[in-house]
Amino acid sequence: MLELRNLSKSYGGRPVLDQLSWHFKAGEFVAIMGDSGVGKSTLLNLIAGLDTPDAAPGDTPILVDGIAMSGLDDDAATRLRRARMGFIFQAFHVLPHLTLLQNVALPLLLNGLSTTRAAEMLAAVGLGGREHDFPHQISGGQMQRVAIARALVHRPALVLADEPTGNLDPDTADAILTLLQREIKATGACAIMVTHSQLAAKKTDKILHLSRNGLQETTIVKPFEQ
Amino acid sequence: MNHMPKPPRRDWTIIALMAMLAALVVASFATLPLKWREFFTVEAINGSIELLAGFAPPESGLPFLTKTFWAALETLAMSGLGTLLAVIFGLAFSLPASGRFGAAPRAAMRAVLNVLRSIPELVWASIMLIAAGLGPLGGTLALAAHTAGVLGRLFADSLENAAPLPEQTLRTNGASAGAAFFYATLPQTLPQMMSYTLYRWENNIRAAAILGVVGAGGLGQMLKYHLSLFQMPLAATVIIAMLLLVALVDGVSFAMRRTLTR
Repeated sequence: MLELRNLSKSYGGRPVLDQLSWHFKAGEFVAIMGDSGVGKSTLLNLIAGLDTPDAAPGDTPILVDGIAMSGLDDDAATRLRRARMGFIFQAFHVLPHLTLLQNVALPLLLNGLSTTRAAEMLAAVGLGGREHDFPHQISGGQMQRVAIARALVHRPALVLADEPTGNLDPDTADAILTLLQREIKATGACAIMVTHSQLAAKKTDKILHLSRNGLQETTIVKPFEQ
Repeated sequence: MNHMPKPPRRDWTIIALMAMLAALVVASFATLPLKWREFFTVEAINGSIELLAGFAPPESGLPFLTKTFWAALETLAMSGLGTLLAVIFGLAFSLPASGRFGAAPRAAMRAVLNVLRSIPELVWASIMLIAAGLGPLGGTLALAAHTAGVLGRLFADSLENAAPLPEQTLRTNGASAGAAFFYATLPQTLPQMMSYTLYRWENNIRAAAILGVVGAGGLGQMLKYHLSLFQMPLAATVIIAMLLLVALVDGVSFAMRRTLTR
């Protein structure tokens, strides 16, 4: 589904990611952990095509469904993100001037699809009947539910989550992760979640540890800084 | 021990500025030939009373009221169309002026907007009347030119001050730059833009009445005509029509702005 081939990125000559390689399979829920500043968010931005990797002409360091991200111009990368990716952010990024239903329907509208699935998705995340409420009328946990519904409504092949439970209390975080896990399995998407939380990581199929030595699978959750 | 906080340091810059301001006010009064005493003489007061008495009673014949009504509609149309044109051009100008296309177009467009709004409506009207001839078209274009400068600047500031996160979120989710603007930034700023537009419409209805004086049609032109012939009762009716029109537009605009900002 997603392949990283010797992916490198440096800022001002300082390497952040160095020769990173991994193969992520469809239907897999993967946590990426690591110390602050090790390049976790950079990695997500590179996969999403929001940043460009260091690559020689002809290199294909990131392949999404067999499509080389580095070969795409800005418009093509935008279209790829729109059709095949879903995003979940720590700060929810729910649009304040749209209703919950309109927020969830956005990826469908952008892809020119019917918006009927938006209400189904909202019900699936436990917010049925709240379609016409606005984000300021709901709690942080409910906003993250809306964000999950929005990320999955158009059945993306790849879901990228950056600290999705970072702003939530432990009970709400657990409920959100259970929901995310269930919805990812239901849609068959590959999901990559960057997190510092050991509890969050334990909910995934696989935990990868990102360090200067690259990505390594681990079963031991290290006490990373919170 | 007494730990009283130290008093704030005296800022001599502010004191110097205030002194300069006071000197300017005194100099203004000293240099202008203001004849306050003549203004309050018995002769001047009697003259004023005589002039004001000439306005009563206002002309209330149906033919003149009908003529005034159509002139009021012309003034209303001038202000409405002038404001609408200003909104269209102001919005178009605000995109480069808000820095969406880079620093150089931003600076260039802000300079254009400065020129547009620095020239008062009356001066614009004089220019437009030469180009478009006497009548409401020149007045409408004059209002549009000045107001496009004002609204363009206000809209640009609104766009610049809008929270960037919603647009970034949409771009990340694969929205094109245009879609992200229309779904995220424009809806955020729309209530404020509508409020500015309605406020400028209020101003333009007053300006449209004045512009008639330089031949731009409507109530202003009627007022100038009747005043110049010393037909005071007819001029009084026109002035009352102006007051009613301004009050009506102010009321409607206020109610709409209150609804938008609720």
